[in-house]
Formats: sequence, C-alpha cells, structure tokens
Amino acid sequence: MPSFRRTLAEICSRIFGLREHFNPRLWADDSEARSLKLLREWLSPAQLAQFDADGHFDVIGCDTGQKYRIHYGSSMNVEELDKFGQPRICYCFVTDAPLAPGDVVLAQKIALETGEHAALAIANKFTPKRRPVSVNLWMGS
Amino acid sequence: MASQIVMDHTGDTRHQFDAADAEALHKAEERFRSLTKVGFTAAVRTASGDVELTKTFDPTAEETLFYPRLVGG
Repeated sequence: MPSFRRTLAEICSRIFGLREHFNPRLWADDSEARSLKLLREWLSPAQLAQFDADGHFDVIGCDTGQKYRIHYGSSMNVEELDKFGQPRICYCFVTDAPLAPGDVVLAQKIALETGEHAALAIANKFTPKRRPVSVNLWMGS
Repeated sequence: MASQIVMDHTGDTRHQFDAADAEALHKAEERFRSLTKVGFTAAVRTASGDVELTKTFDPTAEETLFYPRLVGG
C-alpha cells in the first residue's frame, strides 16, 4: 500500500510538472522577464534611469538627431517628439517574429540609433494617442 | 567568455564561447553567418557604451546581439 501511494504521488507530481511545462502563460511570463533583463542590460545609464522612473525612454535618431520616445509595449509604442517634448507622430514597427515586449523595444531602440531612416521607412505612421500615466512595475529587477 | 545573444520566443538564448578556442570561434562565426543570412541584425556595444551594427563577424566582440528583421506593424 505505501508503495502504491508513493507511485500515485509520483504520477501526480509528474502530471503537475508537465502541466506547468506546457502552460503557455508561464512561458510568456518567463520570456517577458528575460526580455526585460536583456533590455535593461542594453539601455544606456540615462535611458535606464528614465525607464525605471517613467516606464519609457528617449532615443536620438542617428540620421537626423530627432528625439523619439519608446514606451514599453509591442506595437504603436514609438513616438516622435516635437521641440516641446510632445508626441507628434506615432510609429509602429515590430520584429517579424513574435517576441516579448522587452525584446521588441530593444530592437526598436537599436534600429533608431543605428539606422533611423531604414527603420522609419518600414514603419507605419499614426496620430499619437493620449497615453495613461505609466505605472512602473519593473523597478529593482 | 564572449557571448552571442539571440532574441527568440523564450526571451533570448545565449551562446557563450571562448574566443581563444579556434573551434568555438569557428562555430560562433558559423552561427553569425546563419543568423544574418535569415534576416537577423547583429549589434555590438562599443567601449563607450554606444550600439553599432555589424555586418561581419567580429572575433573580438565581447557581446553580440541578434534581433529578427523589423517590419511595419
């Protein structure tokens, strides 16, 4: 009887482990955490401080010197700022493979800082929308 | 140890290698070629912290980041 109980417990434990392994929601959480870690590693100190404080960061386009604001997200999250720091145009360009937001944001940052014209050439443009106040969920990670 | 970081659905996959090891270096170069061939962009950080794109494999790069092709969203 004890061995039957032990076997049953092992089976339940294994089933639970498999459920966790195949749970896409848990994968998503893990990939997002990894992408955030990578993003934080590649932001400049000033960008990281801004990201931690406000949930977004600014980049300077390498070709025009134009300032852009990148919000944490996967689409419609890049804004071109006017001289008053207000969003003038919203751009949407993303990786062709679906990635966690931190990865998408990092790719957008590098693209604007190293190939601004090429990035904007593929981007779709929109009128900026009002954004809610950013809530910082990733401080101290 | 040098590393190649490839963005993917898990967040990223990191390949570390000893740049002094000829075989490891050859594998890293092959990985660089195969990723850029299918559309990945390779970026490295300079000593000053700036990011630069690189079209060719740099055996001295401490860290190379690969991200997929960008498209209009």
